[in-house]
Amino acid sequence: MMKQYSDLEFLRLSKWQRFLYRLAAFFCAIPRAIGHFFKNIGGYIKRAALAVINEFRDIGVTFAHGDWKTKTSYLVMGFGNLARGQILRGLLFLVFELVFIFYMILAGGYWLSMLPSLGKQGPVEGYDPVLDTYTTIYHDNSFKILLYGVLTIFFIVAFIYTWRLNVKQNKIMEQILKKGGKLKSDKDDLKSMVDEQFYKTLLALPLTGILIFTVLPIVFMILVAFTNYDGAHNGYQNNLFTWVGLDNFNTMFSWTSNSGGGSQSYSATFGEILSWTLIWAFLATFTNYFLGMFVAMMINKKGIRLKKMWRTILVLTIAIPQFISLLYVSKMFAKNGLINLTLLDWGWIKEPLPFWDDATWARVTVILINIWIGIPHLMLIATGILMNIPADLYESARIDGANAWQQYIKITLPYMLFITGPYLLTSFTGNMNNFNVIYLLTGGGPSNPKASGASGSVGYTDLLITWLFKITTGSDAKYYLASVVGIMVFVVVAVISLVVYNVLPSIKNEEDYQ
Amino acid sequence: MASVKLTNVKKIYDKNVVAVHDFNLEIKDKEFVVFVGPSGCGKSTTLRMIAGLEEISEGTVEIDGEVVNDLQPKDRGIAMVFQNYALYPHMSVYDNIAFSLRLKKTPEDVIYDKVTKAAEVLGITEYLMRKPRALSGGQRQRVAIGRAMVRDSKVFLMDEPLSNLDAKLRNQMRAEIILLRQKLDTTFIYVTHDQTEAMTLADRIVIMKDGFIMQVGTPDEVFEMPDNLFVAEFIGAPKMNIIKTELVLENGNYYVTPFGAKIPVDGDKGKALADRKVKPGPVLLGVRPEHINLAKAADHAIPCTLVVDEMMGSELHLHVDTEDGTRLIVRVPTLELDKEERKALTVGNKLHITFGGKAMHLFDPETEKNLLA
Amino acid sequence: MNKTEKRHMGMKALNRVSNGSIYILLILISVIWLIPFVFIVFQSFRVESTQQVGYVIPHQWGLQNYINLWNSDFKRWYLNTFIIALASAVLVTIIQLCMSYTLSRFRFKMRGPLMRFMLILGMFPGMLTMIILYRVLADIGLTQANAVPGLILVGFASSGMGYYVSKGFFDTIPKSLDEAARVDGATRLQVLYKIILPLAKPIVIYTVLTAFMGPWGDFVFARYVAMGTSAGYNVAVGMYSWLTADQIFGMYTTFCAGGVIVALPVTILFMCLQKYYVEGVTGGAVKG
Repeated sequence: MMKQYSDLEFLRLSKWQRFLYRLAAFFCAIPRAIGHFFKNIGGYIKRAALAVINEFRDIGVTFAHGDWKTKTSYLVMGFGNLARGQILRGLLFLVFELVFIFYMILAGGYWLSMLPSLGKQGPVEGYDPVLDTYTTIYHDNSFKILLYGVLTIFFIVAFIYTWRLNVKQNKIMEQILKKGGKLKSDKDDLKSMVDEQFYKTLLALPLTGILIFTVLPIVFMILVAFTNYDGAHNGYQNNLFTWVGLDNFNTMFSWTSNSGGGSQSYSATFGEILSWTLIWAFLATFTNYFLGMFVAMMINKKGIRLKKMWRTILVLTIAIPQFISLLYVSKMFAKNGLINLTLLDWGWIKEPLPFWDDATWARVTVILINIWIGIPHLMLIATGILMNIPADLYESARIDGANAWQQYIKITLPYMLFITGPYLLTSFTGNMNNFNVIYLLTGGGPSNPKASGASGSVGYTDLLITWLFKITTGSDAKYYLASVVGIMVFVVVAVISLVVYNVLPSIKNEEDYQ
Repeated sequence: MASVKLTNVKKIYDKNVVAVHDFNLEIKDKEFVVFVGPSGCGKSTTLRMIAGLEEISEGTVEIDGEVVNDLQPKDRGIAMVFQNYALYPHMSVYDNIAFSLRLKKTPEDVIYDKVTKAAEVLGITEYLMRKPRALSGGQRQRVAIGRAMVRDSKVFLMDEPLSNLDAKLRNQMRAEIILLRQKLDTTFIYVTHDQTEAMTLADRIVIMKDGFIMQVGTPDEVFEMPDNLFVAEFIGAPKMNIIKTELVLENGNYYVTPFGAKIPVDGDKGKALADRKVKPGPVLLGVRPEHINLAKAADHAIPCTLVVDEMMGSELHLHVDTEDGTRLIVRVPTLELDKEERKALTVGNKLHITFGGKAMHLFDPETEKNLLA
Repeated sequence: MNKTEKRHMGMKALNRVSNGSIYILLILISVIWLIPFVFIVFQSFRVESTQQVGYVIPHQWGLQNYINLWNSDFKRWYLNTFIIALASAVLVTIIQLCMSYTLSRFRFKMRGPLMRFMLILGMFPGMLTMIILYRVLADIGLTQANAVPGLILVGFASSGMGYYVSKGFFDTIPKSLDEAARVDGATRLQVLYKIILPLAKPIVIYTVLTAFMGPWGDFVFARYVAMGTSAGYNVAVGMYSWLTADQIFGMYTTFCAGGVIVALPVTILFMCLQKYYVEGVTGGAVKG
């Protein structure tokens, strides 16, 4: 167990000691938190069970005490609303129920029943009586089964929720009527949609979009990690795919090299890519951060003229679409690109410089070019923050006898770090997933021969995200592996965010500097 | 023109944080009621519940006899002035004041009449074309009041309207609010943390602490007969001196014995004690600084040392330490002192103080309730 | 130089020295920043060869590359991208403003869980969802030649996740303005368009600008969706194909010309609205 400091003792520590102490405290707190969780798990379950029991009791009690309108509503959703004059709500309930029933009969039932197997009959050669030839006859479609199966489950959950809402509303309506109150009319409902319920109106479209185009695909892809969905099992045209349990995670994390990882195992390849991803994210974030801040301070220094012009020149890299600037620069550094050709012409070099052909050269060049792309952003942000640092802080520091460097270390930097703490975190995770810079510059290359057997032709500058992309392209795409990689990216990002959020003071004491 | 009635009103934030406990109050038509208390006491929350800006967790709010719990702010017939004025920055002063009328689709010439009339009353006619950002704090406050005036509302709510102004302007605006009230002749609910504002403006004061009402009464009542220690200390400046002491009963007469002196509780207070047959024992004795007198040495006078001497102009605030180190504040009108006496009041000098039974407030040290209330 | 002398050395002189070195650095930086863009312009006018060469100033100037562009599918790609950019500027802005305004202004039961949920969703790499989105789009026929509506649909449907920057801005508008307006008789809808939107002009412009600029650089998913059908390419996908190993010898200078044509309007637009972009970016970073 680590030593616990009191508040005053803590204040005697230096910056680094404080940081290390916080870090240590966080990790020491993990076992306790886990223990706490398991100790309370009984409580959680009990509370959840009680909540469920309460729901059921409420449903039962409402039925027992309800009038015939309420009782009918248990079968015919919205009947209570219709019978009591709330035509609009009633119709919505009723239509939803009808749609649900028809969907379940016509399609949902089938998708749901096929979900455990992901399809029974793949495509077969068969006789087509119409064309009078033998052709491939397609049957089940694993992809659609998985997709619509998940969608159906979403739908069922939504239905249960709506049904419960319907029961609750009946109960509330009865209570209001019993007290002699007046129910909301359709007109009131419509009015409240732009007033007290306006947030529902506003959120309806964005959330539907997110549900269908983000949540559903992510759930789907998480599930794919547990199947053998790949180019050879695409679920329809060639072979069905099916559930394989944790096999894919075993492949990814097995240490034996014969699992398809080339001369090294998959886990070794994964480890290599992950560590480069982290190094890249770290370097990309902090080079940009400090250099950007430096440039901003130069431009903002009193007495420097043409501030606007310098800024405008720098933001060119933001304005011009990255695919143009990055692709162009990538070609500029190529073996037969402008730089090498010029240097050869001038006789400065005999051989072209291996900007993209040597692992270390490529990694360094990528980081340097990323500075070119990234500094302007940081310059803008730093400018905004620097101008907000109260001048009296510097004045009092000067009276206290601090020189320019000390002022920077003691005031500017802490202030910047405090305010941009959350930004640094998002910037770090953003760089981990910075597909554009890597893919457009190097395409992940130069290729890594040790990982030749791993799916997706791994290169030395590949990030997890570009690897993921490469795995999913081509006819031998291994979607299940891509999915495992994707889940791992999530885990890494989530862990880093969790640690940083707990260690970084700026998120906890945000008000200190405001 | 309406009454406001709050019955068992509660505000519970999630995680069971209770901001307002069981608030009961009936505000009569055309009454000026001030909610006062330290920050976090729930006064603003209560006001915002009346306004409809905050959901009412429990209980009912009635305006003019109608329960308004489920009504939107705009349907409650209220007008409100906010602490930071809340003027719409992109609209001119004229448009700011006209905003609510336009929403009601009032004809433009009616709007013109109302806005110019309100501007005239508030003396902001020449600023009607300006944007709020071009106004001073006092002018902004007037615009905010003007915006509330044109609504012809039943209840006028004000949430710390003067706290963003400097001291001088605050005094001036306070007087203007009194005038405004005479002109508008409607029900006012006013929230402030400043007891002076409360005392000068209110017909009735509601003093709150930690979500509870500590006392409701006219300015006279809360000043003369505070229900409890909190109210006693909160109302009046400088604040009331509180002395731990004993109440003794000798021959049917009550005495208090602060710092070894023995001072009779005479007059109405003594009679009241006797009527209630209050048992002698430890009490908290409260004496306002203005009720303490400088005295010559005598057996009921308390010797003490002058530590700080604040000259306020018409009066002196003397901070004195008694022999056991208790700090007391004494307020002495400068007019009553001659040159010699004034000279004697130098820091470090010994002096004697005394006070009479009429000026005493006696509190139970356990419940902190007024023994006489 | 002894200590006293140093102490009395003119601040002005010191300043002049440091300012001088700053100017040198700034000029150096500006040159590095401008070089690639100047080069690309030069090379777009080069007609003597269509591949990479070891010099910058063309030996022979001409518009051949631009004529090549005109005769290629570039027109179609450009139009595709422009339509996508325009549509997303409208749709994405609406979605993001709805989202951020709501999360900034309303306090409802599910607000906290919703925001946490979206934070967690955002930790999944977006790339992961491409495969399925592609197959779904293929199912409803919005791929290949019909890639444009498909890209618009996907682009705006999940754009609600990017609400952070504009929410940060909305948070800085005092809530008492909403409350005053509601007391004055405005519905929530009226509060939005009479009070908040006029005050949120900078962030609206920022959102429109970023939503418009995004599609010009959209590459990965666009390539997925177009699936090798030129009619469904956007500029990024189309021009990328010119720099592949088998085309670069013939198309390098054409790429440069295309780059100029693509970058010019976007850059001019950006420069005009730079002020709002800076406001959004700094506000977003400070707010987190």
